[in-house]
Amino acid sequence: MVVLEQERIVTMSPLARAAGVRVGMRRGGALMLAPDALLHERDPQRELEALNAVALAMLQFTPQVAEAEEATLLLDVGASLRLFGGIRRLCQRVQECLRMLGFSGSLSCAPTARGAWLLARSGARSGGMSRKRGAGAAVYGGRVLKIGSLERQLGRLPCGLLPPLRPYVDWLEGIGCQTLGELRRLPRPGLQRRCGRDVLEMLDAAHGQIPELFEWLQAPPSFRAKLELFDRIEHADALLHGAQRLLQQMTGWLVARQFAVERICLLLEHERGREARDPTLVEIVLAEPTWRDEHLIRLLKERLAKLELPAPVIGLTLEARQVQPMEPLSESLFPEPGGSPEDQQRLLELLVARLGADNVLKAAPLADYRPEQANRWVSVQEKIRPADARAQLPPDMPSLPRPAWLLAKPIALLMRDHRPFYGSPLKMMSGAERIEAGWWGDAETRDYFIAQGQDHAYYWVYRERLRAKGEGEEAAEPRWYLHGLFG
Amino acid sequence: MPTCSISAAPEAFHPALWRASQLATTSTDCLDTGYAVLSQQLPGGGWPLGVMTELLLPQHGAGELRLLRPALEELGQRPVVLVQPPHDPQALALAAQGIDPARLIWIRGGCQTDVRNRGRQSSDALWAAEQVLRSGCCGALLLWQNHVRGETLRRLHLAAQSSNTLFVMMRPLAAAQDASPAPLRLSVTPAPGGIEIGFVKRKGPQRDAPLFLPLTPSLLQRHALVDRPAPAPAPARSVLPALVE
Repeated sequence: MVVLEQERIVTMSPLARAAGVRVGMRRGGALMLAPDALLHERDPQRELEALNAVALAMLQFTPQVAEAEEATLLLDVGASLRLFGGIRRLCQRVQECLRMLGFSGSLSCAPTARGAWLLARSGARSGGMSRKRGAGAAVYGGRVLKIGSLERQLGRLPCGLLPPLRPYVDWLEGIGCQTLGELRRLPRPGLQRRCGRDVLEMLDAAHGQIPELFEWLQAPPSFRAKLELFDRIEHADALLHGAQRLLQQMTGWLVARQFAVERICLLLEHERGREARDPTLVEIVLAEPTWRDEHLIRLLKERLAKLELPAPVIGLTLEARQVQPMEPLSESLFPEPGGSPEDQQRLLELLVARLGADNVLKAAPLADYRPEQANRWVSVQEKIRPADARAQLPPDMPSLPRPAWLLAKPIALLMRDHRPFYGSPLKMMSGAERIEAGWWGDAETRDYFIAQGQDHAYYWVYRERLRAKGEGEEAAEPRWYLHGLFG
Repeated sequence: MPTCSISAAPEAFHPALWRASQLATTSTDCLDTGYAVLSQQLPGGGWPLGVMTELLLPQHGAGELRLLRPALEELGQRPVVLVQPPHDPQALALAAQGIDPARLIWIRGGCQTDVRNRGRQSSDALWAAEQVLRSGCCGALLLWQNHVRGETLRRLHLAAQSSNTLFVMMRPLAAAQDASPAPLRLSVTPAPGGIEIGFVKRKGPQRDAPLFLPLTPSLLQRHALVDRPAPAPAPARSVLPALVE
């Protein structure tokens, strides 16, 4: 892939570089060296969007993020070091976040913002020039923690890094001044007269001699992020990577606004134009609001794995539909052995995401005489007040003979020697429990018995009581059914 | 002589060692079975937590829940997850045995009769079981599976070790022939007046004679005594008198 600006190549993929394409070539030259290269015009709008996306994601590390010249972001991490476990760990987290967003970047840190900027720019230049690197890999511009070593590092950098100094590079080379260290040794009044005030200000700021002012980014009041996919994607699993990028941005936004999310929507956009289709909606509702992405990624993964796409997807949109103020974690001194209620909720949400809400059930017995009606199970997501649940339980529960397993449909039993037969003749072990309830449609008139087969297992059987049809007629032969097993 | 002391009391030398004639002492936690006779026969003196335990049943409803009831009760308020049980579990019956219905979570495998979906359901059930085990926030996991492959068993066993959940897997009795990584495998068969427990595999001496546990549905005698119905309502030609013997 090759990117052009005004018919000149500005950057290229490692593959194109291997084919011999270089910065500054013309379109024809690039096509000759790499005939099947994809040529793209540089798109400032999309670059800006990308930078905004990264800036939003970076808000999860510090509330102070500012944009600087030449597609760089400045993060003031002074207050975040302890939270993330030191500068090394923080840098790893930032790298990881960049990788998940699908961008490559040059990362450096220094006691002054301008110093870090210079190191990052030099890292981007040398890393881009000297070594081949895979997509998404980040380059270290340098990690400097003390002002003294920063001065030494800056002294070695070329003059051309400072934007206001670029028109004078030839002149500086002419007088034998190639690095910033040599530049600083030049007389200041002369330098200011020839190159302007900006140069000196930038140099002083880099060395921490004058304060720097930034305009910190403000997170937008609501969150909605879009992502255009490079290709038409037909399998829902493949969308997870794109969704992860959007979730990274959302994490940054949530942390910056101190929100926790309760409901998110992922819109899968299909073909636009003539064959336009409504976007497919994947909605995730959380019982416990969260602002971290691990749990959301797990839920999305299961949901997407289950999803069947009606049409190829060309874009993704993520919205935070419902948020509430973030509640800080309460760390208990002694962790509970069974995990916290939040852990249980998270587990249930995960199970529901893959298996569906109607396959993960909790017991909600009803006060009803008929066993099928009494044995009610509802989705775990339904909320039942404990008092209501208790009110539905019979008062003398231990004396109620109920089998642990209830057959979904009673099995009609054969009769042998006037006895019900299920594998072996059944022997009644208890007296009858008469259940007669229900309205017209589902009225039941049954006598339930506990029966034992010759294998000594216990069964719950019932005899259907049939009413005599007329005055003089005898009742028909009673029919027996197996309805449950005692586990 | 060190060799003599090892051979005399290997269990003192390392907890993982035991003689073929004695029960192993386990390092994992155990949960009392509630039946002193059974607990004596199990290494560690109870159901092991954080490993896979297999119950091999000739049929569903052989008394497996009655056997596990005291242990489930002992777990307190931690949830009990039933994954793909063969029939609808009845919350009232479990409540009558002392297990609060609010603790029960039933993970249903969907329609069992649909042959095409069975493979997917089974993999869903195994996935759910693994998630429950790995999260470690549930007290007990009861999993019903008919055909399980060896690597699946090993995977579940490994997942079980990451928590201290009571993990009981119900399999058909025919599976006793197959190898399994579970350190404890018991067969449960109904017997007159209770159940018989066969020790298919345990860390201890081989025991061929099954252990009898007197376990009837507790409400059976009580109900029969209290509610013995008056014979009058039975119709003249009813078969009931012949049945009751």
